[in-house]
Amino acid sequence: MQIAVCVKQVPEITNVRVNPETGTLIREGVASILNPFCEYALDHAVRLKNGDPGIEVVAVSMGPPQAESALLRCLELGADRAVLVSDRQFAGADTWATALTLAAVLRKEVPGYDLVLAGKQAIDGDTAQVGPEIAEILGLPQVMYAVEMSFTPNRKRIRVKREVESGHEVLEARLPALVSASKGDAMRRMPSLADVLAARRKELRKITAADLDLSESELGLAGSYTQVVKVFPPEPKSGGRKLEGLDPAQAAHEIAAFLRAERYV
Amino acid sequence: MHEITSRPVATCGFDDVRRVDGFENISAAYPAYLTDESKFSCRPFDHLFFPRSEAELSAVMEEMARRGIKITIAGARTGLVGGCVPNQGALVSLENFDRVLALYHDAPAAEWRLKAQCAVNLRSIAAQLSAKNLPDIERCADGMTLLEMDRFRREPPYFYPPDPTEMSASLGGTVATNASGARTFRYGPTRAWVRGLRVMLVNGEFLDIPRGRYFASPSGEFVVSDSAGRDYRVKIPTYPSPRTKNTSGIFTAPHMDLIDLFIGSEGAFGVITEVTVGLLPRRPKISIVQFLQSDEQAIALVQALRAESRIRLDLLESYSGSALDLLRERQRRDARSVGTPPIPETAGAALFFELDFDPADKTVTMDALDAVVRGGGASLSDSWSAYENRELERLKGFRHILPETINAVIAERKKKHPGLHKLGTDLAVPDERLRDIWAVYREGLAGAGLEWAAFGHIGNNHVHINILPRDMADLEKALGLYQMFAEKAVEFGGTVSAEHGIGKLKAKFLKTMFSPEAIAEMRAVKKALDPNLLLNPGNIFEG
Repeated sequence: MQIAVCVKQVPEITNVRVNPETGTLIREGVASILNPFCEYALDHAVRLKNGDPGIEVVAVSMGPPQAESALLRCLELGADRAVLVSDRQFAGADTWATALTLAAVLRKEVPGYDLVLAGKQAIDGDTAQVGPEIAEILGLPQVMYAVEMSFTPNRKRIRVKREVESGHEVLEARLPALVSASKGDAMRRMPSLADVLAARRKELRKITAADLDLSESELGLAGSYTQVVKVFPPEPKSGGRKLEGLDPAQAAHEIAAFLRAERYV
Repeated sequence: MHEITSRPVATCGFDDVRRVDGFENISAAYPAYLTDESKFSCRPFDHLFFPRSEAELSAVMEEMARRGIKITIAGARTGLVGGCVPNQGALVSLENFDRVLALYHDAPAAEWRLKAQCAVNLRSIAAQLSAKNLPDIERCADGMTLLEMDRFRREPPYFYPPDPTEMSASLGGTVATNASGARTFRYGPTRAWVRGLRVMLVNGEFLDIPRGRYFASPSGEFVVSDSAGRDYRVKIPTYPSPRTKNTSGIFTAPHMDLIDLFIGSEGAFGVITEVTVGLLPRRPKISIVQFLQSDEQAIALVQALRAESRIRLDLLESYSGSALDLLRERQRRDARSVGTPPIPETAGAALFFELDFDPADKTVTMDALDAVVRGGGASLSDSWSAYENRELERLKGFRHILPETINAVIAERKKKHPGLHKLGTDLAVPDERLRDIWAVYREGLAGAGLEWAAFGHIGNNHVHINILPRDMADLEKALGLYQMFAEKAVEFGGTVSAEHGIGKLKAKFLKTMFSPEAIAEMRAVKKALDPNLLLNPGNIFEG
């Protein structure tokens, strides 16, 4: 049985600063990490593998050559092997071109996949589209925002507990399927030193666009339906209005008057 | 050369210095200045000064000397022994001495150096070096300095090796206390990195002391002359210094460098206003928590790691089994509170270490480390490791979370017993006595039936035993035990204070370690440089 996990390398945004003149992120000196949601997805794969050591977990990423370090982390955390697809032709890819490329990698490098996992979204682009698009391209049932998952006893389906606005729901999907992972109660693992050293001896295959069954018009900017025109920080939220020093009845009157005046009620 | 002359600075009017008079006013408006991290309580004092320049500091020193008022100096107030907590007179806060002054390459020493005023804190130094962005210098510097900055930017990254846990400590404070941290295991304490000091003496004049210029005469003497031609003769003490990390008493050594007399002297001899330190290239590291079955296994592994010359560790720290139990209990109540996956149930102790690691090196094997760990009956599979920044921070957080956990337990117990406080030791012994002192701790604590946890710098045989008394009777027992531990540490050739210093809180321990003759020698140095005993009264010397 094979589980493919699609992952992305992202900037460590906890300490990213924005250039006040251009409004763009200052990437200089910012470390790159494995997208946390992708790490949760990988964590689910490793848990499933713990229940059945016969499962092979394969981490797959599209990115520049330095994205290798994100895949190394996957290998440290328990992936059996990794595939990096990297090519200048991928530059400018939107979510669709990315999904098309990743789907082609899965068909070629993990043809026997039974389950495809992905993070619910990347913390840099925040689109949450690549996972669902891969599912559409490969014709797979999809379940998003998973926090728990297990195979059914006959191993023909995956049972997924997922986050919805009102709480959680449990769904089952026939395999092969694509599931995206949310954070839930996950605590990121810490690999042992033995894991870190062993990861450097695992297979990390690097391929290019030429290895995929795709035409040039489907790659990168040429294959993209959307383009990022501008990136800018959101307007800072103002503090709002606070009523203080009033008794509850007075405060309620004030608030009701405000809601009426602004036509909220 | 053992003779040095102090120089006056241009003074300003004493009345120009910002100050608050009267203890009531000070305690109402500036309560933070009444204590330090030890929470030791001050006694009433009359003036609080905020000098902004050397001229203002000199004016304060001269005026206080003229009036015979004693002066306590405060940096960032992060000390643990009440060193900056006044017991009378005036408190001088140096917080406005907060500029980085220079960054330059010292060609003879082939070393990059940073010069800063005393109040610049270590976190700020680390951040500025890491970003290679030193705004103070860029704002004020001349062309030559800016050229030097450009050169620094093209260099690989550099860092300042001393890393006291409290990174908000001021540079001057860490020099006055010869502060240590985890990395002292490899790089030594602050003393090893100080290349120059500017010190104001109690007469308001300055000494500029580069390392390597002023050494004690063959008869063990320094002569400090002031601008009026008066000589102050300093006879350096003759007692031997312990062979351990040490911050007890005054440093002394035959032919010692004058700069070392001021480093770690807890402000007894002068006010440090500027510091020049050496920097080192920063290499990527991997940080490891190695889980072990027992404290005894941890001690054996420490000795094996130290004996293997192929392994260069930056730090070597520990959590005792009882410390891991406290953290497990915390994780049981709130799984996320410790910031790590669950501590393995089988772990009965943990060692932390850090070493050079290139993540991109596919051929790395660490055979020597693997062999030592396996030889000690442990496995590298029973570890946590981290090398990315965020993961390094996560493990650092884990290393530092125990004191906070202990404080929370004590705070809870204080509700029932208000007089309760934790008791943390700061003792170190020479390498070959680690096992012996551990046996003393273990038997003493078990015999007294006390709750305790141990953590800290086991690589330097400097483990902090923290006793968590459950009631006042426990506290009484703990105080007696601490005195016994201190006596044993000294008997083993160690120290009563390895990194916290003596300050006011541990002055009584000085007598455990030093003979009355040795303490008299220290007092003689004090008397020579500060004849009226005006500076930092109560520090090191009781009363």
